Formats: sequence, C-alpha cells, structure tokens
Amino acid sequence: MSCGSKRMPANSQSPPPPKPFSLIAEITHRCPLHCLYCSNPLELQRADEEISTGDWKRVFQQAAQLGILHLHLTGGEPLARKDLAELISAARDAGLYVNMITSGVGLSEERLAVLVDAGLEHLQLSFQDLDETTANHIAGTRAHALKLALIPILKKYPLAFTVNLVVHRMNLDRLEAFIALAEEFAPDRLEIAHVQYYGWALKNRSLLMPTQEQVDRSLPIIEAAKERLKGRIHLEAVFPDYFGSFPKACVGGWGRQMMLIDPVGQALPCHAAAVIPGLQFDNVRERDLAWIWESSPAFNRFRGDAWMPETCLACPRKERDFGGCRCQAVLLTGDAEAIDPVCQYSSHHELLKLLRRPSENPLPIWRG
Amino acid sequence: MDLNATPRLAPGCRLHPTEPVLLIPEGTLKLQGPAREILAYLDGKQSVASIVDELAKQYEGVDSADIQQDVLSLLDRMEQRGVVRV
Repeated sequence: MSCGSKRMPANSQSPPPPKPFSLIAEITHRCPLHCLYCSNPLELQRADEEISTGDWKRVFQQAAQLGILHLHLTGGEPLARKDLAELISAARDAGLYVNMITSGVGLSEERLAVLVDAGLEHLQLSFQDLDETTANHIAGTRAHALKLALIPILKKYPLAFTVNLVVHRMNLDRLEAFIALAEEFAPDRLEIAHVQYYGWALKNRSLLMPTQEQVDRSLPIIEAAKERLKGRIHLEAVFPDYFGSFPKACVGGWGRQMMLIDPVGQALPCHAAAVIPGLQFDNVRERDLAWIWESSPAFNRFRGDAWMPETCLACPRKERDFGGCRCQAVLLTGDAEAIDPVCQYSSHHELLKLLRRPSENPLPIWRG
Repeated sequence: MDLNATPRLAPGCRLHPTEPVLLIPEGTLKLQGPAREILAYLDGKQSVASIVDELAKQYEGVDSADIQQDVLSLLDRMEQRGVVRV
C-alpha cells in the first residue's frame, strides 16, 4: 500500500483490487416458493423492472473479460425467466462456468434438456426437510414432491448436481435421516447450510434459530458423513454464524471475490448489502462491470482495512476474515463499521447468546 | 485407480480453455506441472496405461515408472475429491 495513512479513503489505495472470481446473477425475484428463511431483501424487485436479455448478455461478456470464471444464476426462481436458455447460452459463449440454483418447480424434462443443451453445467436443488408436510410448511408451498420427482430426471443428464439441505431448529434433530435421504439422491455434492439471518429470514429468526445442543449434536454427524461419503459425494457444511467465536470471511471479503447483480441491474458486493445505510449501487445499465468493480463507491466502501475499528486493525485475523460481515454488524449493532458481533472481541458478542436462546412458540411469517 | 481404468472428468467439471485450472462446481482447482496435460487425456475410453504410454513418448528420457506414479497419484487425488470418475 503506497499511502501512509490508515484513514485515507479506500478508493485512493493502490494496488488495484483483486480480480473477482464469481458473479451471482439474481435474474428475477419472482419465486413460486415462500420459504421462511428466504435471504432475499424484504422489498423484492418488480418483474416489470427486470433488466433485459441484452443487458444480461452484455454483463456476462464484461464479467468474463474481467476474469470472472463462475456464473451463478439464481433468484427468486431463475426458471421464471422465459429467456433462461438464451442467457445460459450467452454466458457459455462468453466463457463462463454456468451454475443454476433452483427450486426445481416448473422444470420439466423438456426444459431441462434445453437448458443442458444451452450449456448448463451445474444445478443446485435445495430441500426444506425430509418429510413432505414440514418441507412444504417451510417452503410455504407444495414443492417437495415436485423436487423428488425431478431427481431421476436430473440423473439422466450430463451436469453436476448438488443437493442443498437448509437446516434450522425445526429440522436439525433429523439431520442424520436428512443426510441419508440426500445420499439416496446420489448427488455429486451435498451442502448442509444453516439459515443465515438476512432479508426475510431475519423475521423468522426466533423460530429458526437452533439450540446450542442441536448444533453440538450436528457437528459430529456432519464430520462422520464427510468421511463416509468421501470420493462419492463431496460434502460441504456451513457453520451457523451466531454460534461462532470468530467471524467468517463473508463473501470472501468485501469487494474481493464476488459481485452480485440484482434483477434490476444493481451491482452489489453481497446479497444483503442494501441493508447498509448510505450505500448507493451502480447499475449495469449505466456502467460496465470493470468500472463498477474498481471504482463503484459501494465496492470500495469496506475494501482494505481503512474502515476498520482499532481492534480489527490490530488483529492478525483481519488477513483471513477481512473484518467479517458488514451486514451482520449493521443488523445486530446498528453500526456498519462495528466489529462483527460474531467475534468474541465485539462488545456486542453477548447479544448473540441472547438471540440463541429459544423463544416461546414463535409463529412462522411467510412472505405475502 | 488401476492401470486398466478408463477415467473421465466428473459431470460439471472441465478444463479452462487457456488457464491451468480445472473448473468444478462452486470452485476451481489450480493445476500444477503436467496435471493439465494428464487431465486433458481423460475421455472415459482411454486407459490409464495408455495415457502413461502417450506421456512417455512425449517426455523422452523420463522414466515411465515415474510418469506412471505421477499419473496414478494425481488421478487418485482427483477421484477422492470427486472430480474424476472411473
């Protein structure tokens, strides 16, 4: 770093930021599911304001030129976009690796064949529970049977397949059986992810927050499954944020690895970034991706360490966690520059203990 | 993995067209030394023994036992990671 002062604005720093690795394209917020743990913002972007096929094609080319390798098509439900095959094909032509995160609702074999033919390489399907009634309860719609029916169809096509198990208090006690069910699907990858409390999920935090006992019991189950499945199914597990002593490198560090484009073309450093007051997001309709990556004030806001509180500045872990999650800091402390409260050195760390305590019979809140 | 095996890359795994990188679901694996060249042979038809022969022809003067060991060790690791299938 050439400038001497720690308090210089981040955008005057050299060297330039590292090249991004992945692009998350939220191509629509429309979704047939109404999951209690939806991480999308409370205010969804409207369908009639979504950016066009041409806009996305341009974004994919710019992304590849910027050095991005992976494209993650998500939403909402990406299948809700009628031009999905065209988008996949354009992304492959640009040189990107194409992954789609889907509920599977509305995916016929005919459409899957078209998407694979267009160049889809990896599909991620999440399960809300192993039992149909509870799975549908959590998803706010009858999706479980549709997902089950999709699996034998998926297996016929040459694409990587990930099963994503979203876990929380209502299903964590059944984790072993949940993993066994996922194993029957014979995916290439299995992800076990705790709910993260952003967006809509925050409204249902007291309902979904697991107990300490549940988390403690789940860890050896996950480790055993990893060992047992090695070489057959690659298992990745995401530890629940509120139970940690040190923060994660959220999105690999702010403005370091990934960029998210929302349905209306706004470029965000992470999917929850809109909760941070004062951040303005540049739009791919007006700016190209390279400019946004290097110069957008939102991407530079928490790059480097100039924004960090003294405790973080002096902490060697900053090279690993890059200061943790800014969205969590603002949601739990009201201050986007505060130490991530997951960190044991945060004066708000005790708050997490309170939030982990099971509350009495909270009611589920579905998105309307 | 044995010499008669006919490995291929797992679904959703492919070599980057120019960089020494294997693109895999949710990530990349950096490939060092001859790893890219070895993986480029995998087509589900050619046996490990035949790949070793091809490489031995290209790398004259290198002991083919060493090549064989390198190939098997790479493919075993890749199979454990789930990105190569027999």
